[in-house]
Amino acid sequence: MVACHAENNIPTVGPAEAARSRAMHWLRVERYWEGEFPDVRLKFRPVLCQQCEAAPCEPVCPTYASHHTEDGLNAQVYNRCIGTRYCANACSYNVRFFNFFNPIWDKPLHLQLNPDVSVREVGVMEKCTFCVQRIKATTQLAKSENREMKDGELKPACAQSCPATAIVFGDLNDPESQASRLSRSARGEKLLEDLGTRPNVTYLKSQASA
Amino acid sequence: MTGAASRPATGVPATMTEDLLRPLLETSWKFYALVIVLFGVVLLGVGSFAYQVNNGIGVWGLNWPVFWAFDITNFVFWIGISHAGTLISAILRLVNAGWRRPVTRCAEVITAFALMIGAMFPIVHLGRPWLFFWLMPYPTERQIWPNFRSPLVWDFFAISTYLTGSLLFLYLPTIPDFALVRDRTTGFRSRVYGALALGWRGTTKQWHRLETAMQIMAIAIIPVAVSVHTIVSFDFSMAIVPMWHSTIFGPYFVAGAIFSGIAALIIAMAALRKFLHLEAYLHPVHFENLGKLLLMMSLLWGYFVFAERLTTWYGNESAEMSVFWTTQSGAFAPLYWTMVVCNFVAPLCILSFRKLRTVTGCVIASCGVVVGMWLERFLIIVPTLSHKYLSYSWGSYRPRMPEILLLVSTFGAMGLLYTLFSKFVPIISIWELKVGEQPELSQPQETPDEAATLWRTHP
Amino acid sequence: MASSTAVYGLYAEPSAAQRACTALRRAGVPEKEITVISAEPFEAFEFSQRDHSLLLFRLAAVGGLLGFLGSVLLVTGTSRAWPINVGGMPIVAWWPYLVIIFEMTMLSAILTTVVSLLVTARLPSRAKSLYDPEVSDGKILVGVPIAADRTSEVIRRALDAGGALAVKTAEFQS
Repeated sequence: MVACHAENNIPTVGPAEAARSRAMHWLRVERYWEGEFPDVRLKFRPVLCQQCEAAPCEPVCPTYASHHTEDGLNAQVYNRCIGTRYCANACSYNVRFFNFFNPIWDKPLHLQLNPDVSVREVGVMEKCTFCVQRIKATTQLAKSENREMKDGELKPACAQSCPATAIVFGDLNDPESQASRLSRSARGEKLLEDLGTRPNVTYLKSQASA
Repeated sequence: MTGAASRPATGVPATMTEDLLRPLLETSWKFYALVIVLFGVVLLGVGSFAYQVNNGIGVWGLNWPVFWAFDITNFVFWIGISHAGTLISAILRLVNAGWRRPVTRCAEVITAFALMIGAMFPIVHLGRPWLFFWLMPYPTERQIWPNFRSPLVWDFFAISTYLTGSLLFLYLPTIPDFALVRDRTTGFRSRVYGALALGWRGTTKQWHRLETAMQIMAIAIIPVAVSVHTIVSFDFSMAIVPMWHSTIFGPYFVAGAIFSGIAALIIAMAALRKFLHLEAYLHPVHFENLGKLLLMMSLLWGYFVFAERLTTWYGNESAEMSVFWTTQSGAFAPLYWTMVVCNFVAPLCILSFRKLRTVTGCVIASCGVVVGMWLERFLIIVPTLSHKYLSYSWGSYRPRMPEILLLVSTFGAMGLLYTLFSKFVPIISIWELKVGEQPELSQPQETPDEAATLWRTHP
Repeated sequence: MASSTAVYGLYAEPSAAQRACTALRRAGVPEKEITVISAEPFEAFEFSQRDHSLLLFRLAAVGGLLGFLGSVLLVTGTSRAWPINVGGMPIVAWWPYLVIIFEMTMLSAILTTVVSLLVTARLPSRAKSLYDPEVSDGKILVGVPIAADRTSEVIRRALDAGGALAVKTAEFQS
């Protein structure tokens, strides 16, 4: 989560605003408790933008700020966003966040901002982009070297920093990539799949479904 | 002078024109006091909006995941109130209900001003309101057009159409009354009213054209009004979140809009009757008739709520049920049951009995309905947004002062606009009232054979 | 605009005005030369029965049709000009576009009606037309322009037959 904040210039809103439920964690780790004491089990589930093929957030944006790219990403164009917040309401996963105020980075933290990512102003929606700046950079690098991207060459900040390699990123259009193979696993399931959003994120359960 | 002696005795006094023009020609200190107070209330709202634009939507109580609350509640509420005029003016006009005549302009004015107030909120609620014009379809150097698939763009088109139609629907029958005031005043005032009257004289041809135009407008405005609130309901029903994605929303919202519109009309009429001394024109029977309509709409509202709730409860889908229970018995229960009392129980108790369907009774029921319908919009929006599918991201909502000020100021704005309108334009349509008072036709003076040679011969 | 003189009478009651119109017709005045002006429409009387026309209905329908076509062009043209995929919906998505098309059709019909009204009723009118402010007091004006084969005497006699409150002469531009 911290890596995501650092990579994407996501502001920390401060304790007062966080108490008002305005924290902007593009990637959040949900904690669920199961069972009664003393047989309590703790489960973690990282939730990020599912980059749905039939994203409910896209058709409702009046200015095309939320739309689908040819790469298969759900893109958010900050310059087009006028802040109606309809996309956030339509998103069943609650993975969209709003800049309620102009973000502030107390000095000297402003020196840590990633120059590849724009800083959003007040009134604009934002969400996980699968680190699109890294995707673009790696694509251009591969193109300039006249080769295809290698599987595993490109990692978004969350996948890169996870010590347990719980997050795997790759090209789903390439059936041989690790991400592609894992997404076809018997342990794989999608979040809120019966809503018909066709999310591109697959969660692997610890055991295959019976 | 007005030939009143030969008019049959009806409920309208001979001094009708004088009575109805008096608010325009005489001003008391009470008017100025009221305008100043209401203007102050409106300024509170303007100040609140300026504060919000300067600092960000964060000054409101919105949060993750409740991204809409008071702002969209106010929007839907005021657009709903605007359906008063269409019902009374257009529908009653088309079915030739004569009792609509003194009421028609009061109702159309509510529509026009409620629409203007409601239409402010799509701008006010934006994160970057200075870019609201991107909702308009115009060729831009960015080469991008609005997304016509978005319900918010549908809102823009629908509300623009309805606002234009309603303003014209209000203005057209006012033209003969403006001509009347033009002839009764002098100097600058006469010139202004003369300009507004567009040189109206009242030839038979002009009357025909005007009445035909009103007929067409009445026919056209009804589907537009139905479509407007349906489209507003689509802001919710197009999203696949629990208890929003319901096909009932279109008719449910339209019925609710007409319901709240009639309530607002009753309150406005009662206020006019009291402040402008129009007891001779707005009779208890008008309130009785509107009270009966309000009762009917209350029953219809109850029917829609029951149908929606029964379907949800019976389906027992877990995400929907969490929203369901939070309104029935959870955090939102006090508001929910207040709404049921205001919208259903109280109107039924008051309006079912003729003895209680007095002006006062109708006004009390209507005030309850106005409160109840605001709560209904709130309870459609906030419980769902705070309880979507993933329980980790459930939330809650508390309004903050800037939003409350904005809400209060909308009522102030409505009062102010209404007061100013009744000062400068006759609030009861004088010529339409006169038509309602017309006596029976006397016998034709020529034989049928002679009539064939006299009338409508060409050349 | 030509300037003419008209003779007109003011009447307290629509039946009196009708008597005057009948007398004028019997005297041979063409129907379209008789102007009746009142502060309220009197649809039941014979003098109101001409000038009915279905033109406004037809124009409104034409306006609606133009709005329909224009809106179809707008939504399909702009979508195809820059095709953007939103939610997997087709580029020209007819279900949502029907909403826009409906609204623009109705708006166009409404605006056409209002414009047609203004044009056919000759509003706004700045020419000095035949009018008397006493009409606002509830009187009905019946007037006829003086012509070569119609002297002012003939007209006055017919107007008096209805029982005019006053008979006056006025200049106006036609």
